[in-house]
Amino acid sequence: MLTAVKNQVRVTLLTTKYALMKEMLNKTTFLMNIVFMILNNACFIIQWIILYSIRDGIGGYHFQQVLLLWGIAASTFGFSRCFFYKAFNLSEVIQNGKLDSFLIQPKNVLLSVTTSEISPSAIGDLIYGYIMLGISGFSISKFFLFTLFTVSGGFILVSVTVILSSLSFWFQKADMISEVGDSLLTSFATYPEGIFQGTMKILFYTIIPIGFINYLPIRILSEFHLGYTALILLIMCFFVSFAFIIFYRGLKRYSSSNLMISKI
Amino acid sequence: MAVIEVKNLSKIFTIKEKKQGFKGSIQSIFHPKYRKVKSVKKVNFSVDKGEIVAFIGPNGAGKSTTIKMMTGILFPTEGDINILGLDPKKHRKKLTYEIGTVFGQKEQLWTHLTPYDNFKFFGAIYDIPNFVVEKKIKEFEEIFELKDFINTPVRNLSLGQRIRCEIVASLIHEPKVLFLDEPTIGLDPVVKENVRSLIKRMNKEYKTTIFLTSHDVSDIEKLCKRVIIINSGQVVLDDSMENLKYYYLNKKIVEAKMKEKVSLEDEEGITILKDKEYNIKIEVDTEKRTVADALKLLNPDNIIDINISNIPLEDIISSIYKKEDQS
Repeated sequence: MLTAVKNQVRVTLLTTKYALMKEMLNKTTFLMNIVFMILNNACFIIQWIILYSIRDGIGGYHFQQVLLLWGIAASTFGFSRCFFYKAFNLSEVIQNGKLDSFLIQPKNVLLSVTTSEISPSAIGDLIYGYIMLGISGFSISKFFLFTLFTVSGGFILVSVTVILSSLSFWFQKADMISEVGDSLLTSFATYPEGIFQGTMKILFYTIIPIGFINYLPIRILSEFHLGYTALILLIMCFFVSFAFIIFYRGLKRYSSSNLMISKI
Repeated sequence: MAVIEVKNLSKIFTIKEKKQGFKGSIQSIFHPKYRKVKSVKKVNFSVDKGEIVAFIGPNGAGKSTTIKMMTGILFPTEGDINILGLDPKKHRKKLTYEIGTVFGQKEQLWTHLTPYDNFKFFGAIYDIPNFVVEKKIKEFEEIFELKDFINTPVRNLSLGQRIRCEIVASLIHEPKVLFLDEPTIGLDPVVKENVRSLIKRMNKEYKTTIFLTSHDVSDIEKLCKRVIIINSGQVVLDDSMENLKYYYLNKKIVEAKMKEKVSLEDEEGITILKDKEYNIKIEVDTEKRTVADALKLLNPDNIIDINISNIPLEDIISSIYKKEDQS
C-alpha cells in the first residue's frame, strides 16, 4: 500500500515536471506569462490603497488583512492551476472522450488527468501570493500556515471543479455548470468577509466554500486557532473524497470517442 | 491455454435524438428523446497464449468498443471478460500491468519529450526500476531501430517513427497481451512492412499474444493465423486464415494475352471480367468448372502469356461484410 502511494506520488511529480518542461519550451512566453500575471494582480491592490486612504477598515478588515486576503486568494488559485490545471478542463476531456490514454495506465486516473497540464500564469499567481504575505508582515509561523492554507484551499478549489465537471458523465454541456462554480469561487474570493451577510455567509461555508479557502485562513493568520485549522483540513478531506467518489462513479458511464487525439 | 475469454459481451449506448433545426433544439429541451444503440451484441470468443488474432469489421461494427471494454476503458452493459484471469471491470489497474495498448489514432506519448524521456516516463508509470528501464530501452533501441531518433522530440518524428515509439512505449513493461488498434493507419508501404515485421518478431521472441484490428488486409494476411469478423456488433466469422481462404477462395482469376482475338461469353462457372483486344480476364468458379475447362475454352495454343491468381482477400472480406449486411 505504502509502495503504491510512493509510486503514485513519484509519477504525479514526474507528470508535473514534464508538463512544466512543455510550457518552458518557449522561454520568453513562459516568463512573460508569469511576470504579467504578477503585474495584473498588483493593479488590483492599487484600488484597495485608494479605498483605504478614504476610510479605515472595510468589512472588518484592516489593509494588512486585505493584502493577506489577496495573497491567499492568489496562492490558492495559483496552486490549483499550477499543479492541477487540467481539472479546469475536465468537462471537455470527459465530453470528448479523451480519458482513454489515462485509463490504460496503472495509475489513479483522476490524478493522472488533472496533473497532465500546468498553467504558467498560475505560477505568477502563486508567487504573487507569497509576495503579499511578505508585504503584509512575514514570520516563519505565518509562512507555514499560509502554505498549509494554500494547499488546503487549492485542493478545495480543484475538488469543487472536479465535482461539477464530473457531471459531464451524466449531462451534456455540464462544462457550463463547472464554469459558473469556478467563477463564483474566484469572484467573491477577494472581498472582505464582513461585507457579506445572512444567506451569502451561509453559502460561503457550504456550497460555495470560500469561507474555508479564504476567510477562515485569514482569521487564523491574524490569530491562531487550532479548532478552525482542524476544521479546514477536515473540510478539505471531505471535498477531496467527494470529488474522487463522484468522478469514479461517473467513470462507469464514460463513453470514449473515436476522435483523432493527440496527448499534447 | 486461453488468455482472453469473452462471454456474451454487450454494450448499449444511450444517444439523445434531436429533430432538425432550431425548433428541434427547443423541443429536445422540453421533450428529450433518447435512443438505445446496441453497439456490441452478445459477443463470444477466446484467444490462446501466443496467438496473433485479427479482429476486423467495417466501420461502426463494434471493434473499437469491444477492445475498449477488454482494456478497461469502457464498462460493458452485460457479459464477462477475462484477460489473464482478470476482469477489466473490477481489476483495471492490475490488468494494465499485464497488457499493452496501441491506438493508431490516439497518441500516448508526450510530443515535446524525446522517445527516451517518454520511455523513462512509462517505466515510472509501470513502477519499473530505473536500471531495468535503461536495459529495456537499449534492447528495444536495437530491435526497433530507434538509434537515429531516440533523442529527437516526438513532435519532430515522422508518423512511422512515432508509431514505432508508441509500440515500444506499450512494450516497456513486457505485456503478455498486446492490443493493437489500427497500428499501421496512415503509414507508407515500407513503414507498414517494417511495423509488421516488428510485431511478428515481438510475438516470436516474447511470446506476446496479439489482438489486432486493422482495415488493411495485408496486415491481417501477413500477420494473423486467425481472424474474427464482427459486423453490426456480432461475431459473424471466427476461423483460421487457412479455412477462410479454403472455403472462400473457390474462385480463380485467369488473365491471358492471346495471339488471336477470341470471343467468349459468360457461361455457368465462367464470368468474363474484361475482354479488350488480345487481353482477356475471366473468373472461374471452381465449384462449378475447373481451371482446365477455362483454358480449353481459350485454346492453349493461342495463349502467349497467362496468369492464374486467387481472388484478393480484400474482396473475400468485403463479400462477407456485404453478405452479413444483407442478411
